[in-house]
Amino acid sequence: MKENRIQTYLRNLKRHLWVRGLADQNDLAEIESHLLEAVERGLNQGLSAEEAERQALERFGNVRTILSAFERERTHLMQKILLALAVLTGLFIAFVDSRPTWDDTGITAGAMLLSSGLLTLLGYRRPWLIALAIGLWTPLYETYLSRNFRLPGAILFPLLVLLIPTIGAYAGWAVRLGIRKTFHPA
Amino acid sequence: MFSMIGEALKGHLDLLLLAILAERPAHGYAVIESLRSRSDGTFDLPEGTIYPALHRLESQELLHSTWSEDSARRKRIYQLTPKGQQTLAKRQEEWKKFSKAINATVGI
Repeated sequence: MKENRIQTYLRNLKRHLWVRGLADQNDLAEIESHLLEAVERGLNQGLSAEEAERQALERFGNVRTILSAFERERTHLMQKILLALAVLTGLFIAFVDSRPTWDDTGITAGAMLLSSGLLTLLGYRRPWLIALAIGLWTPLYETYLSRNFRLPGAILFPLLVLLIPTIGAYAGWAVRLGIRKTFHPA
Repeated sequence: MFSMIGEALKGHLDLLLLAILAERPAHGYAVIESLRSRSDGTFDLPEGTIYPALHRLESQELLHSTWSEDSARRKRIYQLTPKGQQTLAKRQEEWKKFSKAINATVGI
């Protein structure tokens, strides 16, 4: 059977909210109830089903607007703590890596990979930001120390290093998503 | 909607929601209708944006919600907690002072 506008909207919104961990079953049921009530009132006012659905969705707000409202309201302290931890971890890795006695790139890369994965696994919602917070300092400091600002090396080296925490952060995020899917299906 | 009103509204949404719910417990749809009608349509937010605000107020223990099964559809009914009533009274006082100062400054 073909989905109506409300069903398509709800499916889309639920997917986005759920993937970001911004809403639970009760929140989603509440949104659904709101939209159905809005459509019902439109029908009672003599609107066609299509027009009632259109107006209900228009008044409710598009998916992007609702997502940003949820994100704005739910930037909990935990998210800020995790981001601060990522910055501190990134600075610590950069400091250790810059020591003249340190000569183990594998451990530096491993530390970036694991710490970024762990922080997104713990619940940070923006893997790209964790990757930046952890991976940016090492190449920046390295470039500063070597005074090598020539292109393309000055751009390619940081990008290459950032790739490692990016992989880690998205891997942690994917594992968290898998766990949510298993234990809390949408 | 006039954008300045929209931006200003965001900063005072908590006060408005608490004030509406102080009159009687209500579900989200009724809260939005009340917000719209009491402001003569001036406060016409995208309806979905009030839900995260209601949830935040609940997590701050200013509101309490229960699910009502009375009608054909399940509804989440919000009501003020004692802490919410105290916060509302405090915010109303702050608003009185603030609006009085603004009015005096702009010459209304």
